[in-house]
This record gives sequence, C-alpha cells and structure tokens, in this order.
Amino acid sequence: MTKTLKSTLAALLAALATTAGAQEEIKIGACQPITGRFAFAGGQLNAGLGDSIAWAQEQGIVKGKKLTYFFEDTGYDTEKAVASFKKMMAQQNPAIMYGESTGQGKAIAPELNSKYKVMYGSTSFSSELADPKTHPYSFVSGPTYSDQFGILLQYIAKGAAKGVRPKVAFFYSDTEFGKDPIAFGKKRAAELGIDVVAEVVAKVGAVDVTTEVLNLKKAQPDFVIFQGFVMAPVPEVIRAARDHGLKTTFMSTFWSMDKGIIEKLGEDAEGYMGVNPYGYYYEDTPAMAAMRKYNERVHPAEAKYRPNSYIQGWFTGMVYVEALRRTVAAGKPVTGDNLMAALATIKDWDTGGVTGKVTFVNNKAGVGRVYRANVAKGIFEPASDWIYVK
Amino acid sequence: MLIGNFKERYADDEALFRTPASRAGLWVLLAAALAFPFLAGDYLLYLANLVGIFTIAALGLNILTGYTGQISLGHAGFAGVGAYATAIAATRLGLPFWAAVPAGGLAACLAGAVVGMPSLRIKGLYLAIATLAAQVIFEWVFNNWTSVTGGIRGLNVEPASLFGFAFDTDRRTYFLVLGAATLLAFGAANLFRTRIGRAFIAVRDRDISAELMGIDLFRTKILSFMISSTYAGLAGGLWVYFAKVVTPESFPLSLSIQFLAMIIVGGLGSIKGTLFGAVFVTLVPEGLRAVVQSATTFAPDAMSWLAPMKDILFGAMIVGFLVFEPHGLAELWNRVRRFFWLWPFPK
Repeated sequence: MTKTLKSTLAALLAALATTAGAQEEIKIGACQPITGRFAFAGGQLNAGLGDSIAWAQEQGIVKGKKLTYFFEDTGYDTEKAVASFKKMMAQQNPAIMYGESTGQGKAIAPELNSKYKVMYGSTSFSSELADPKTHPYSFVSGPTYSDQFGILLQYIAKGAAKGVRPKVAFFYSDTEFGKDPIAFGKKRAAELGIDVVAEVVAKVGAVDVTTEVLNLKKAQPDFVIFQGFVMAPVPEVIRAARDHGLKTTFMSTFWSMDKGIIEKLGEDAEGYMGVNPYGYYYEDTPAMAAMRKYNERVHPAEAKYRPNSYIQGWFTGMVYVEALRRTVAAGKPVTGDNLMAALATIKDWDTGGVTGKVTFVNNKAGVGRVYRANVAKGIFEPASDWIYVK
Repeated sequence: MLIGNFKERYADDEALFRTPASRAGLWVLLAAALAFPFLAGDYLLYLANLVGIFTIAALGLNILTGYTGQISLGHAGFAGVGAYATAIAATRLGLPFWAAVPAGGLAACLAGAVVGMPSLRIKGLYLAIATLAAQVIFEWVFNNWTSVTGGIRGLNVEPASLFGFAFDTDRRTYFLVLGAATLLAFGAANLFRTRIGRAFIAVRDRDISAELMGIDLFRTKILSFMISSTYAGLAGGLWVYFAKVVTPESFPLSLSIQFLAMIIVGGLGSIKGTLFGAVFVTLVPEGLRAVVQSATTFAPDAMSWLAPMKDILFGAMIVGFLVFEPHGLAELWNRVRRFFWLWPFPK
C-alpha cells in the first residue's frame, strides 16, 4: 500500500514538475457582479470572459503560456469590489484584472497607477476610464457611451433628407451611467446639424412615465435616444408614446439592445433601434460560429442563445489574449506597461465578426453597428454596416 | 476567576473601566491593533480601514439612536456632507488633511443641526421619514450641484500627508483611521459620564420625564444630532482620504441602513457593541464570500445559485441574533464574560 502510494505521489510530482516547467502560467483575475443589481449581466459577463480565455487556451493563441482565469463575486458593491481586487492581487498576483463597474475603476485608479500596474478591463463603457492620462492601465472594451451616441447621431445625420435638420431627444437616467454621454451628445449633434429638442430625465425603473412622455409629445422629436437604463422604463415610455400617437423612432445604447427587450415590447418593438458594439450570437460570422460550437460542447444547456453581455465578456477576453499574444511574440515580459503598449498597437484587427475592425485609440475601440428590431423573428438585424468613430 | 470587585469611592463606580481586567484587555486590544498592520496584507488592511471608518460613523449613529432614542435614516447623507466638505476644503481651499477632516465634521455638524430641528415635534417612525428625506436631498445635491460637488464624476483628492509623511497606502492610512477611531470611541464613552450624555439617556428613556427634570428637550436633541453628525462627517472625511475619490454613489441610502444594522446587531447604546457591529456587518459577508468561493472550486457552475446564498445566510444570521439576543453582540459578549467570571464553578 505504502509502496503504491509512494509511487503514485512520485508520479504526480513528476507530472506537476513537467507541466510547470513546460508552460509559464499567466493569471487573469476578475471581480464580477454576479449578484446584486447588475446580476442580469454579471453571470453572462463572467461566462463570456472565462469561456473566451479557455477557448484561446485550447487554440494555443498565446504560445507557450498557460492562461488561467479566476473570479470572485462582488455583488455590485464598490467597496467589496475594491477589497476583492486587493485580495486577488495579493494572493494570486495576476497580470490582468477585470472590474465590475465604473465606480470600481475610479476607486482603484490611484493604486492601479502607482502600485499594482496591471492591465485593467471592465464592464464599464464610461468615457472617464478611457482617458490614458488619468487611467493609463485601464481600457474600455469597445466604444464608450459617448462613442455610441456618436455612432447613432452619425447614422441619423446620414439618413436625413437634404436640408432637413433631424430632431432628437435625449431620454436619460439621473445616474452616472445616464449622464455620461449627454454633454458630448449635444456637442456632436450640433456639429452634425441635428437639433436636440428635448432632454428628459427619469428614474431607473420608473413606472409612471406620463409626464415624461407628454414632454416628448410637446417636442415631437424624430428620434429619442435612451441612455442609462437597461429595461424599465424603456418599454413603458415606448408603449405610452405609441398610445399618444407619437411617430418617433426610439433608440438605445448597448445595455438596452438585447433581444429580451423585443420580447418585452411585443408589437411595440416595431422600429426600435440602437447601437451595439458587438455582433449578435446568432449571426452568421466565423467568430460567432466558433463561439456557438464552443458553447455546444462545453455548456450544452445554454448553447442556444447567449445575451450581449456574454459577447462583451468574450470580446474583452479576446482583447486580453491579443495584447498577451503581441507582448509574448515581441519577447517582452508580461507586465501592465507592456500589455498596454501592445494594446495601443492593435490596428484594423479582424475579430471575425465579434465586432468590426478593431483599432485601439485612447484605450478604447470606437466601433459599433446600428441594429433594428425584427418583431416577427424576435431578433435584431443590422441597419447599417460597422460605423467607426474616434 | 473574579472573586470580588469592591469599590470604595463613587468615582470608582463611574470609572470608564471598572476592573483591572477590562483595562488590561483594552491594552491588549490596542497592542494587537498596533501590531496588525505589520502582519496583515493589503486585503485585510483595506477591510480594517473600512471597519475603522464604519465604526466612527456607527458610533455617531449610536449616540443619536442608541443613547438619545432618535432614529435616523440619513446618517450616510451626513457622512457624505462631511466627505464632500473635506474634499472641497482639500482641493479648492488647499487645506491640509488635519484641517480638512475637521472641516468636514463641522459641515456635517451644521447639517445635523438643521435636519435635527423637526425632532422636537416628530418622533419615532415620523422622524425616520424626515431623516430619510434629508438623505434623499443630500444625495440629490451631491448629484446635481455640479459646480461644487463635481456632479456624477465626484472629486479626486490627493493622499493625506503630515510633515512630509504621505498616508498613501492602506497600511499608512490604517494608523490615521486607528488613531481617529480610538480617540472618538473614548470621546463617546466619556460623553456618557457627563451631564449632557446623561441628558441624552434621560430623553431616550422618557422624554416627558426628562423635561420635567429640567432638561431642555430641544437643545438636547439638537445637540445629539450635532454630535452624531459630526462623527458621521469625520468618518466621511477619513473616507475621502482612504478612497481618494468621492462620488454621489459613495453614500447611498443602503449605507444608512447598513449603519442602522451595525448598531442594532452590535447593541444599541453600547460603545463596544458599535465596534462589534461594524466588524460583524463588514467582515461576515466577506467571510461568507470566501466560503462560497472555495466551494466553487469543487463545483464551478454552482456560482449562480451559491452566490445569492451568502446574502440569505447573512440575513438569517441577523434575524437569528435579534431573536436570540435582542440586545446585540455586546450583550452576548457580556454573557460570555459573566460565565467566565465564576468558571469553573456553577452560578
């Protein structure tokens, strides 16, 4: 018995030693909002990011390195998230981190810049986190909210008849998430010859939106752009607007562009549009096909549909892996500074349809596409090609 | 085993520490607190700072709610006022931290005086609603008075420094927080050995009788509000130097409720209970998270249903405490202590 035990142990140790010797491990840690207010997306973000890294590992994209992903639930609480960030940094010393919110990004910034110096991606599309001066180690995995507004406004301006100034209303929540792109949106609209005829502020989750809808009715905008909501009160506003006979086109940014909103709106989803930085899971592109295939093999129960937040997580994972690949290929050590330098070299990168051609400028990628709801099929379909903004 | 605790003077009865053992215990605790930063890592130090700051704020709330009997749902709002005042004093006026933090306390004190005004006419749940309104108003102001508060983006603050020594890491900030928390805890404990403190307790126990005994109700209640919100403001000020950023989302209503949870779980009208409560409410969810986290290494897909379990478990623990020990952790501690006084002999 002892003899077998000994030999087994020896074999195990030998196996361990060889694997450790063969591949250097690169750790990627994440603070994920799996519970709490952001739970609707947290689980999917986590799955997407984890799967993306596991998939890249299978494909052997980063040569000679073993990628390990680990995460903690933060409950969408900035303090818990910062605590969890510090814990992971102390215990695992990862090369790359992922954060749960804009708040966390701001809270850890001083120490991220002076002490930890790791590459930091997050759920956030806040323009503040895409400022290389104040946040040299963080990046936004896609366009910021301002960029998303820019894409929508560009689309509106392009579609307008000659000599007609389109009328747009901004409908946003009284939160950081809601107000983030408003100032830029107004500036950009003026540049493009679009009139912002109304700004309506409502609470997240508001039920009675009569006043707000009457304000819209008074302004009679051609387009209403929502910002800072996920679900309610977007369906309520659209429904009430239709009851009041408004012919406006309603648009949203990323978080209100999952197909769940079409199910919620039913008939009223007709004409609903918005910008999505990424493609949809069901699209016929090589990257999405690979993603579906991976899911069928690894998560058969959830392989039928994955929401946008999953794609966001997946894309963030792709960016991590690409930055790692470039750093390792250049023979440089894997540090935050080198990874961020590698990120800045990403130019016209073909993602195979997860999104358009990716170019990182100012730690963000200004690309997105306008989609329109197809009520009969219950899905979003492209209304434009990929639109690029700076 | 404690055989006897004889007192020969009235002053002994009113002493802060009535037995040599409790004094020795405090020295041990203080020594442990001083040794802690040299042993703990970043993560534990971060949590310790959080506990320290929450303790200060919760002490304030305990003075108001536990000792004076005035319930408040606006405590996080006061902490926010202190935090913003500190941040503004530090960034706009260029004050050093030792002036900016007290400035935060002062601003919160004034805010407390105003919000406390209605307490003469309204009590209990009605006062809770009035202070809730204050919380909402504060949050709105933080959000919308952009020229002063920086709006949704908030204000960034440089680390505190004293004679060229920068409190820029969690380890260094810890000493700042520990010093402030110790001083303020002693201040609170001593407060209830003075006429003012006893007046607070009299008002809590029966306000009409207190008034009959010659206590000016209005003055006492306002004073309690002012002291309480000063504590909150100082906690907010320290928070600014700890987090180095303040945003409107830093001081939500849920934090006010968390403060209430701390003093209820810890023990209303108890200084050490406040510390217990702050430790419990901050650390137990972290502990539960660690347990859940380790469970997921065996079942990675279990996270989706295991993660919410910790909230349920935490809630159940609070309910359990309230059912089995309504006087909070402080009373639990006292019971344990009494048991060991006579141990190993039965009572």
